Amino acid sequence: MNKTLLSLIVFVATLGVFHNVLFPIFTPKEVGMVMNRYVYYLIMVLTVIFLHLIMKIKPAMAFRGLMVWLLGFYFYKFILFPPVPWTLFITYMMLWSIGTFLYISQDPITFREFREPIVRTIVGDYKFAQIIVFTLMPFLVGFGTYKALYPTFEEPVELRTVHPAPPATTKVHGKTYALEGLQNPFRIAEQDDYQDSFPFLDADKSEYMKHVTDGGSLFFENCHYCHGDQLNGLGMFSHVFNPTPANFVDPGTIAMLRESFLFWRVSKGGPGLPNESTPWSSAMPPWEEHLKTDEIWKIILFEYWYTGWHPRTFDGESSITLSE
Amino acid sequence: MNKVPQFFKDPNTEVKDMFGKTISKKCGVITVAFLLAFAVHLLPSFATDAFAKEAFAEQVFAEEAFAKEVMAEEAAEGEGEPQIEWGQDVFYKDWEGNPLKGPISGAPAPELGENDYNNYEFAPSRIIIWVANQQHLYFGSFVLAVPIFCMLIEFVGIRSRESDPVMADKYDKLAHDLMKVSLTAYSWTAILGGILLFTFITLFPGFFKYMATIFRPVMHVYALMFLAESGVLYVYYYGWDKMNNDPFLKWVHCSLSVLLNLIGTVLMYLANSWATFMQAPGGIDEKGQFLGNIWHVIHSTLWNPVGVHRILGNIVFGGGIVGAYAAYHYLTAKNAEERAHYDWVCYVAMFICIFGLIPLPFAGYWLMKEVYAFRQQMGITLMGGIMAWLFIIQAVMIGLLFFAANSYLHNGMARVKGSHRYMKYCKYMILLLIVCFTMWMTPHTIVMTPAELKVMGGAQHPIVGHFGVMSAKNTAVNLMITCTALCFVLYQRANKKITVPWATIGNCWIAAIFVGAAVNIIYLGVYGYFLPANQRVGLSVPQVSSTLTALFAGVAINISMFKDSESYGDIEWGTQSKVGTYAIFLLAISFTWLMGLMGYIRSAVRLFWHVTEVVRDNSVDAYTLTIGEAGKMLSFNTLFVWTQFVIVFWVASLTAKKVTSEKAPDGVPVPAQQQQ
Repeated sequence: MNKTLLSLIVFVATLGVFHNVLFPIFTPKEVGMVMNRYVYYLIMVLTVIFLHLIMKIKPAMAFRGLMVWLLGFYFYKFILFPPVPWTLFITYMMLWSIGTFLYISQDPITFREFREPIVRTIVGDYKFAQIIVFTLMPFLVGFGTYKALYPTFEEPVELRTVHPAPPATTKVHGKTYALEGLQNPFRIAEQDDYQDSFPFLDADKSEYMKHVTDGGSLFFENCHYCHGDQLNGLGMFSHVFNPTPANFVDPGTIAMLRESFLFWRVSKGGPGLPNESTPWSSAMPPWEEHLKTDEIWKIILFEYWYTGWHPRTFDGESSITLSE
Repeated sequence: MNKVPQFFKDPNTEVKDMFGKTISKKCGVITVAFLLAFAVHLLPSFATDAFAKEAFAEQVFAEEAFAKEVMAEEAAEGEGEPQIEWGQDVFYKDWEGNPLKGPISGAPAPELGENDYNNYEFAPSRIIIWVANQQHLYFGSFVLAVPIFCMLIEFVGIRSRESDPVMADKYDKLAHDLMKVSLTAYSWTAILGGILLFTFITLFPGFFKYMATIFRPVMHVYALMFLAESGVLYVYYYGWDKMNNDPFLKWVHCSLSVLLNLIGTVLMYLANSWATFMQAPGGIDEKGQFLGNIWHVIHSTLWNPVGVHRILGNIVFGGGIVGAYAAYHYLTAKNAEERAHYDWVCYVAMFICIFGLIPLPFAGYWLMKEVYAFRQQMGITLMGGIMAWLFIIQAVMIGLLFFAANSYLHNGMARVKGSHRYMKYCKYMILLLIVCFTMWMTPHTIVMTPAELKVMGGAQHPIVGHFGVMSAKNTAVNLMITCTALCFVLYQRANKKITVPWATIGNCWIAAIFVGAAVNIIYLGVYGYFLPANQRVGLSVPQVSSTLTALFAGVAINISMFKDSESYGDIEWGTQSKVGTYAIFLLAISFTWLMGLMGYIRSAVRLFWHVTEVVRDNSVDAYTLTIGEAGKMLSFNTLFVWTQFVIVFWVASLTAKKVTSEKAPDGVPVPAQQQQ
């Protein structure tokens, strides 16, 4: 029997059995260390390889390339969860396709093997395949054109600027602050020394925890509706905003920023964003209209204490107030 | 079963290395010494703190400034009124962290108005200056890179004169040919430099006047250095044949190439100082008044990282162009001899290119760290703000470079007899590259529709969202480089049967070094997620060290194991696959585009400033281009410069044709492999 045909049967059968029978088993509601979709995928790939090895099947290079490509497609389409946005999916598949090409073209022999059926199809050695391909191709192009032209009613995607660059100075409550070197006046002790302390409970024991407690109270009075009671950006109103409120637990938000950036961002809110971000790239109000300067600083202190992140610092910083 | 060729058993059989050169213990030692010297040269570059502080220089300058200050105060006390006005430096600080003071020695920066800008109807001035600048930089980069190649190639040629005269001639001819092209390109660069200068003067007269006031002495020194460069270049090129026969004169000739490179590097650093001053000024006060110390103006905070980054970039760019030139000739070669020659040239060019490519990202990290340290605002604009999407495009281009390099190595390895032992590992290396590249390319902020956002449950993906931060990126790029280094190690030993008694131990060491490096890189990458950002940045140093250790130690051990090795057969030059050859074009074009992109990003991050926070750009062109428009300009610049390169190579080939028609065919060196 043709090795490639046998390989095709093995591949399709394995994929079919795994996807329809084992996939639901490996995706329970309570995901475990073993019973999860990634382990399932690993087992499936190993099974395909194992079956090919014990049956001593070595299909044509073109089919091997196709199998590799399809396994990547299956991973990004069905395994990776939650599904990634379309733009990222395309990016990942582009990378995987490049990888597949590198695999195919790693030496002249494999590349020749890969090209052979394609060339033979084009020149007519494989008559049946040629008819199918040359018939389907115009339809595929037509379908692609149809899909491209068909109007959609979704909001267009936007290249959002997540951390817009702050200005050099900002004026809050009549004072002008130079953001370069500006520090939180309430960061009077090392944050890590209070890891085991709790706001409210330990508020009387140290001045630092008192500030954290104040910040926490203010956060839950003003901020948690959007940023969430776990500071993960999933507050009760978060789902109505696009983009969603910042997730402070994520290592890519406040963990990467200086406190001065947060001070500017919180004070000025969405309306204070620079031109590179449109006013609608953030629904946050300018908190300087509702909170005092010290209150903003305390909230920032609380956010860092709660998440365990440290504000980004560079050596030699000092608090600078330019003018009153 | 493979039959071992008879000559393997002959202990007197010569063993050739990847360049086709006879391996001797001496050459191995030299190569190792070269690698170590390069490592030692690079390591201080990455000791960023030491450089950033510039501790020693600061000490000297602070003392100097203090002395001047005391003198001024004394003078003021004596005469009742101060004679010298003092200003505070915008960047340099004294011991206590206060801005360094210096005597005001220049006029304040001008407030530029409409009359300070001129323009043509057909294109905005900003675009014209961009094209002029970029074209000059491309050619400058090429003419600075080629002498580095020639120096290395000529040196290798001289060293192998005794052991392999045929190869030595071949090296010499290659270096000479490259210099010939460089000579044409040199005049072209000077012309483009003139065009750039006139463009500056005519379109941005107000701004140019300010720059000329500040950099007046530097500009004169630059012009004189250009003169010196030209003189040495002409002596080097035209004295080639005369100095070729006498061994002493040949060494003198090779030394001239060192001098040529030294002058070229100084030239580049001087020109860099103008750009780095514009981006991160020093040596002036906030009004833009010069504070009397020209070294402070030259040596602003980004000067060193930009310099190192450009040297490495030049090497890669030059390698790419020479490689593409050779690849074109390889594909169009009319006989086997020609094909063998150009295949070999492709290899030498790619070797140099990859040699520069590997440390390049580290130099980039250093530069970005210094940018962040200079102004948080500038760093955020680049990495998280308006320029962030250009950095994503940069990630794609860098990935393409690594793919092209690895594709070339894989295909190159395939033509080496004995490579079947290592070819089976290629697919795993490709898988690692792709996984790393996927991490490297995953953006922190994903472009998505509101519907997709809801499905995902938040702005960050719970799995791939972790790849959006620097811990993941550093890990990915270090692994990619380590993987490329491993690929090179395998390439080197593809045709060798290791016979040293400690072969097993050596192999274990190489495996342990690479696996250890990979484990360390991954461990540090994961550990980075649990550290504050400022400490996390510091982890990049041990990560880079792991990569460089694997690279240098791995290659050094590998080369040491070649002693008395048997050969499965020499490389069959002229049999490189077409895919491998096209990979060179991909690398060259991608790098040209990438150079333009990064240059644009570095320059455009000043936004509406000519000189950051000192001279405001008040022209109608003080806007930031959209990504699409910038992409079109980059593509135009790339096409334009490649058109010029084609012309320059064609012009250079006119002389070659004349020489060929005059000389007898036996003047063409035959590759050593084909002589056997």
